[in-house]
Amino acid sequence: MTSHPPLGLYIHIPWCVRKCPYCDFNSHRAEGSLKERAYVKALLLDLDEEIPFIEGRPIETVFFGGGTPSLLSGEAIEAILSGVRSRLNLLNDAEVTLEANPGTLDEGKFEAFHVAGVNRLSIGVQSFDAAHLQKLGRIHGPSEALEAFRRARSVGFESINVDLMFGLPDQTLEEALMDVQTALRLSPTHISYYQLTLEPNTLFHKYPPRLPGDEKTWMIQEAAQDLLAEAGYSQYEVSAYSRTGKECRHNQHIWEFGDYIGIGAGAHGKISHPEAGIFTRTAKIKHPEHYMKATEEGKSLGSRVKIDKKDLPFEFLMNALRLRSGFQESLFEERTGLSINVLEPLLSQSVDEGLMIRDQGRIHCSLTGFHFLDTILQRFLP
Amino acid sequence: MTDQKDIRNFSIIAHIDHGKSTLADRFIQTCGGLTEREMSAQVLDSMDIERERGITIKAQSVTLHYQAKDGKTYQLNLIDTPGHVDFSYEVSRSLAACEGALLVVDAAQGVEAQSVANCYTAIEQGLEVIPVLNKIDLPSAEPERVCAEIEEIIGVPADEALRISAKTGLGVDDLLEQLVAKVPPPKGDPNAPLQALIIDSWFDNYLGVVSLVRVVNGSIQRKQKVVLMSTGKSHLVDKLGVFTPKSLNQEVLNTGEVGFVIAGIKDIFGAPVGDTITATDHPCETPLPGFQQVQPRVFAGLFPVESDDYENLREALNKLHLNDAALQYEPETSQALGFGFRCGFLGMLHMEIIQERLEREYDLDLITTAPTVVYEILKSDGSTIEIDNPSKLPPPNEVAEIREPIIEANILVPQDYLGNVMTLCIEKRGVQKRMQFMGGQVSVSFELPLSEVVLDFFDRLKSVSRGFASFDYEFLRFQEAPLLKLDILINGERVDALSLIVHRDISQSRGRDLVEKMRDLIPRQMYEVAIQAAIGAKIIARSSVKAMRKNVLAKCYGGDISRKRKLLEKQKAGKKRMKQVGKIDIPQEAFLAVLRVNKDS
Repeated sequence: MTSHPPLGLYIHIPWCVRKCPYCDFNSHRAEGSLKERAYVKALLLDLDEEIPFIEGRPIETVFFGGGTPSLLSGEAIEAILSGVRSRLNLLNDAEVTLEANPGTLDEGKFEAFHVAGVNRLSIGVQSFDAAHLQKLGRIHGPSEALEAFRRARSVGFESINVDLMFGLPDQTLEEALMDVQTALRLSPTHISYYQLTLEPNTLFHKYPPRLPGDEKTWMIQEAAQDLLAEAGYSQYEVSAYSRTGKECRHNQHIWEFGDYIGIGAGAHGKISHPEAGIFTRTAKIKHPEHYMKATEEGKSLGSRVKIDKKDLPFEFLMNALRLRSGFQESLFEERTGLSINVLEPLLSQSVDEGLMIRDQGRIHCSLTGFHFLDTILQRFLP
Repeated sequence: MTDQKDIRNFSIIAHIDHGKSTLADRFIQTCGGLTEREMSAQVLDSMDIERERGITIKAQSVTLHYQAKDGKTYQLNLIDTPGHVDFSYEVSRSLAACEGALLVVDAAQGVEAQSVANCYTAIEQGLEVIPVLNKIDLPSAEPERVCAEIEEIIGVPADEALRISAKTGLGVDDLLEQLVAKVPPPKGDPNAPLQALIIDSWFDNYLGVVSLVRVVNGSIQRKQKVVLMSTGKSHLVDKLGVFTPKSLNQEVLNTGEVGFVIAGIKDIFGAPVGDTITATDHPCETPLPGFQQVQPRVFAGLFPVESDDYENLREALNKLHLNDAALQYEPETSQALGFGFRCGFLGMLHMEIIQERLEREYDLDLITTAPTVVYEILKSDGSTIEIDNPSKLPPPNEVAEIREPIIEANILVPQDYLGNVMTLCIEKRGVQKRMQFMGGQVSVSFELPLSEVVLDFFDRLKSVSRGFASFDYEFLRFQEAPLLKLDILINGERVDALSLIVHRDISQSRGRDLVEKMRDLIPRQMYEVAIQAAIGAKIIARSSVKAMRKNVLAKCYGGDISRKRKLLEKQKAGKKRMKQVGKIDIPQEAFLAVLRVNKDS
């Protein structure tokens, strides 16, 4: 009951060459030269402030997300990781992932990342179709994507994820499956396959492109899932597929309601203190300039909020039910400090309705439930 | 204290948008009731809904002191009246407290039907009616034509009608002078035992029941013990006073005055509208005549979305009923919707306002079923019953005759739109009775089935006449008609709350339209939804809403849980106003689909 969950470190790099019209993450157009050194300094100052809350726990995973982390130089990544090592116990076998955009690869950069200690790359391919890439506002074409993958392999990256999107504007079933087949030929260890959605505060939301309808998108999803399964990629989360044992540990921990430190502009974190029954969420200042200024001036970098006890079950489910195999009842009690019975009567109702399955101490969505996860989660909203 | 002969009690009769609220504001400003800053909003309409919709629902009063040219200061009590056809009953209540009424007519638009009806009520009640032409500053104003209309249609001499602009203030002083000169002071004996008529009552969470009263005889004082004649209960007067329009406490309300009384009444049935307040030590012998009971004409079921809210709904209806005697309700049980109330309303607007008030002021989520009228059923055994709910229609073998309510609609319409209005009335099964040309307008009357009127007649009338036609109606009789019960089935289950009674000739098309409309209104969900329309055992139309393929967000926003949670909360909020019938969520709009059948097709 009082043991700590695994701890990860999330590092947000908030810049992109340009903003994609569908993206609603905290990313800003990189103008002029990147203030790389200042940002690295800010990240480490940020991390210093987190240290008292970590109580000496080891770091099992690191994840550079963005924005476009591959915009940073090898030296910057090296500086960040050595800064992390000198402050925290970064385990030798830690998974260290970096998100890379195929359009940002200078000669030698992947090698420098690898040497710095990054051991997993997540390549933002999105599609291998030139026309679709253009409509998505991507800065790379199909050949850059293939080249990025080839280089990653050649410098020694074994764990590589390929990000693919489907349900793209005017996308046909054939085009979508071609993307999947191209990705499979590369034989990555992991594929993230997610549907394009129009999010508020994006250009696509304001000027919606013509997306394939629900039925066609569904056909794409089913056919693509068949291809992935045949090729040995099993779906372990709503949008994540991997070879056995090659799941993304960092995300897996998040979905299992583990802890993660979040540093960088707009980064979110979650830290538990199970012995005190306290769970906190952190969020850092979003705008990179304001964020860096606050670190320089020693001002507060954001918020640290206690999760209300009544919100815990919902927040746990929101993450854990995304996993195809769900969670052990004991994990729920360990991570929330609450009895599994707090999920009643909704849990039994959902089981009776055939949306959830409770079997030998494990709880997960049925196949139908997995497709209607949001419908299930709404019920559990506090 | 104002001498009784210097009191003037009056109302303003005006059609919506003819400038009543603006004129009231101008009076308040002229008499110094509020500072410039406080005048920023129109003050007389105090409920949010009233302000938003620009209509006045409940009686309110304001007491003003006007220094006239004769050097005397007069106490003017303006009692507000609603302008909509649904609220003619409220109008008669307000007028009962007055000796005079200003008939305000838009000098560009001319006389409208509701003003005619309200004006007749005022004349019947013996009030001095003073016609006024407002909006004289508009370039389109036609004062000569409108004066002729007032004389021809209403029969009130209009030669002395003042031409004013409430907006600019032009002529408002002259109007106040005319008001003081023409409206008689209140009669009543200051030495007789107290008789105060309750014009309106409302419930305040802190003060209990607040009543607006007109002191007819005697006087009422603070700390006085009074009796409510309908309940026989004694109460001590805590507070009394007037609205200026801010509430201003006073020690006494004298004969002829209008103001509020708070007597520590916590029971919401403790001070019904129309009741007489008298003194405990010197009671009067008989109560004042009060008001005639009104009959609701439109009925609908109101059901809480959350069944836990049933008692809250009852409590809220009790409170609303306090100052809205026309609202009737009794418990109703629906197989589909659970426990709720069958409510009777004066008309569609009344229904919408009650629903909005329940949701806004009492924070309830409600499902309203389609409005229906009362039908008279002659049963095979010779007995007659009245039903206000289609699901209560007895089985066909027990029904000898179904009789529907027929009304007489009096419509005023400019000649250009007469053809459109006639077409509409005939489409609604109307029978023309009279037609009279007067000024530029035509007064035409039709006998119409009320069921056709409650659905969308008012909106259609406005749209076919570009807003110029107006109408007023009264109940005539029940009349036999070939009517049938149309049922709606969702996934094979008859949903009682969706049944309706329709005319045989349109039953097929109504069934088809309804099923199509419901298909558009019911959102895709986890399960396929089959919608059917049936008459008896015969299915006459069918359609379906395909099941959704999935409902799951692809992304999880890099550890930022709040984003996704907000999305889920938004989705869930969208499900409010939906009622689960079996496994299917049916939105409020689908229950009212019949109202929309003719609208956008």
